[in-house]
Amino acid sequence: MNSAVTPPQINRRQVLFGIVGLGGTITGLAVNAAGSQHPEHPVAAPDAVSMLYDNTICTGCKACMPACNEANGLPPDTVLSGGIWDLPADLNSKTKNIIKLYQEPDGAGFSYVKRQCMHCLDPACVTGCPFGSLKKADWGAVTWNSSLCIGCRYCEVACPFDVPKFEWDHFDPKIVKCEFCYDRLHNNQQPACTAVCPTGAVIFGKRTELLAKAKDRIAAVPDKYFENRVYGEHEAGGTQVLYLSNVSFQKIGLPKLGSTSLGYYATKVTSVIYKWLSGPILVAGLLGIVIKKNWNRHEEESAELEKETGLRGQL
Amino acid sequence: MSQLAMTKHDTTGSRLINHWQRGVPVYREPVITPTLLFFAALAALGLVLAAVRFFSPLGPFSGMNDAYAWGIWKTFNVMTLTALGSGPLAVGIAAWVFNRRKLHVVMRTALVSGFLFYSTGLLALGFDVGRPWNFYSALLPWRWNAESAMLEISICMPLYCAVFLFFENIPLLLERFYYTGGDTTQSILRAIAPFLRRIYPFVIVGAYVLPLMHQSSLGGLLLLAGPKINPLWQTPFLPLLYLLAAGLCGLGFVTFLLLIASLRYSRPLDVGVLMELGNLLSCACFLFLAVRAGDLIWRGQVRAAFAFDKMSILFLAETALILIPAVALRSKAVRQTPRAVLKMATLACLGGGFYRFVPTTIAFTPAHRAIYFPSLPEVVMSVGYISLGIVAFGLAVKYFAVLPGAIEDWNQMSRLVHWRHPATKSEQGGTGWPESLSIR
Repeated sequence: MNSAVTPPQINRRQVLFGIVGLGGTITGLAVNAAGSQHPEHPVAAPDAVSMLYDNTICTGCKACMPACNEANGLPPDTVLSGGIWDLPADLNSKTKNIIKLYQEPDGAGFSYVKRQCMHCLDPACVTGCPFGSLKKADWGAVTWNSSLCIGCRYCEVACPFDVPKFEWDHFDPKIVKCEFCYDRLHNNQQPACTAVCPTGAVIFGKRTELLAKAKDRIAAVPDKYFENRVYGEHEAGGTQVLYLSNVSFQKIGLPKLGSTSLGYYATKVTSVIYKWLSGPILVAGLLGIVIKKNWNRHEEESAELEKETGLRGQL
Repeated sequence: MSQLAMTKHDTTGSRLINHWQRGVPVYREPVITPTLLFFAALAALGLVLAAVRFFSPLGPFSGMNDAYAWGIWKTFNVMTLTALGSGPLAVGIAAWVFNRRKLHVVMRTALVSGFLFYSTGLLALGFDVGRPWNFYSALLPWRWNAESAMLEISICMPLYCAVFLFFENIPLLLERFYYTGGDTTQSILRAIAPFLRRIYPFVIVGAYVLPLMHQSSLGGLLLLAGPKINPLWQTPFLPLLYLLAAGLCGLGFVTFLLLIASLRYSRPLDVGVLMELGNLLSCACFLFLAVRAGDLIWRGQVRAAFAFDKMSILFLAETALILIPAVALRSKAVRQTPRAVLKMATLACLGGGFYRFVPTTIAFTPAHRAIYFPSLPEVVMSVGYISLGIVAFGLAVKYFAVLPGAIEDWNQMSRLVHWRHPATKSEQGGTGWPESLSIR
């Protein structure tokens, strides 16, 4: 009796698995077509724009801060100044760019530092952003799209520089971060901060050119700069904002990071398992075969129990 | 055989039997008690706050800030509690894949509790995201960032809970409708039952693949946080370890819940099932610890693990919480003693939950010095979601055949609460249970 029923069941099962497999593969292909690669040490695109900040030149005039606010339509942060003038304590949802002062504990020396988005070559925020609200746009600028963001704040957790900020006190909260004055770049203008800087402490250019310029400065006066190196050349796989500093990078708030891109670290295993959804499909197939076998046995046992007790087995 | 010997170990006062056979509704004990009403009040309070939060920005509500952008709604209600809600995955795989047939009878307890953990966790997430109106992108695959663990979770978790886990709970609902409904209801259910049975084995494949994916992705989320997470926890093995922790928490919590509910509703215990659960829980704990230890050795973190600083002590506490049940449950005497099993299951849940909670909170150091402590409304909402789950579970065990019992319990129940007795052939002209629910 059983043998008469079995053949069509197997056929149906095969058809079902076929449909699931085919559907999964097509979805996987479609999804993966949009995915990008994560080399361990990414290489900047030839047209990648860059900023070079040198804290031995910066006078701390903060001209870049109102220029940034004006270019980005940001309100002044007047919390610390008692409602009088713009005085942010750090990068926040009203501040995309800030000049901060580092003072040696003994008061002997001090340094400035300019903080804004580092525009990583392989940004962790872009890798983590579920619906592609944050993306690596033209010239490598990392931009944010309000119509795709669900406000999960994974970018804030992922960013090794703690750059993206969230408008905690807004009904329609946005992620606020430097976008390299993306609109100005499209109008053939340089970012507001580099345009306004009176001393040339922060300058704008192609990444290749500015990296060479920074290395020239190091070579010209050896031991003037900390560790005789450029911060951002290799940090977290490399960034498009580069720093020269006369004090330790960690003292001015730049974290100590390895040279591996976080996107590479986070996706090197999963990108293989989830390639065309092959891992999940394989597991589903294996589970399906075993479960169906055990299911049939379970049903037989339920039938026996039913005869014995008059009660049907429960699922 | 050793019924007497078992009774000797029984220090809880519960009857020990050896035949949990089917789910039976709670029928002698009152369910709507002052305790349940207390939890209902907490749940109402949490939900009122959640409603207020719907019309309010996140800021004034929570202690979250830009450095600790994830608060307890994510790190506790989702990261930690869905591990405890992985019972349907852990027990289901044991029962259906590894053919531990004794465990079929406790699947319903796992399924109901798992569904409640997931649905309340997703509720917490719904009030946590800042721009929920953009979530429709989940339906537009061309917007998906396929490499984002967050994408995997935000699609996989709701899909699992709303479709697969819900489907697995459908037999409970239909069974109640069948036994309490009129003739029309019964004939409708007779008609759809064979269809459900036909697709059931295929659906449970999805019900195991999906949580395997998102429970590991919850660990995968933390990979991108890279150096912010202490090296004792930050490892490429995070996805696997998160999955194994979900397995041990799932087994641990189902054991814990079965014992607590059986004591609360004076249900006799089935030592055979408890021993099976205890054995698997011990294995799950050892498996987790083996991978954890292997990973620390491979990454050269053994010295840091025993440095006895703050992070090392956290790690050692977490390991002890998992190691104690792993070792203790190897002993047959412990597995036979319900009170000891309850204690060990509690420790395992705490240890596994601790592992899932710590990397996003205590072992998470943002690039800038900052402090996060949950605000009062945050805590009240979090507690409210959990209370909602407790109330729903209390009602579920009364109105549906969730908790396992013996055939005699079922028969007595069906006389007392006027569920149609399935064995009374004269009434229905059959076995009582719809013939079409039978296999052939």
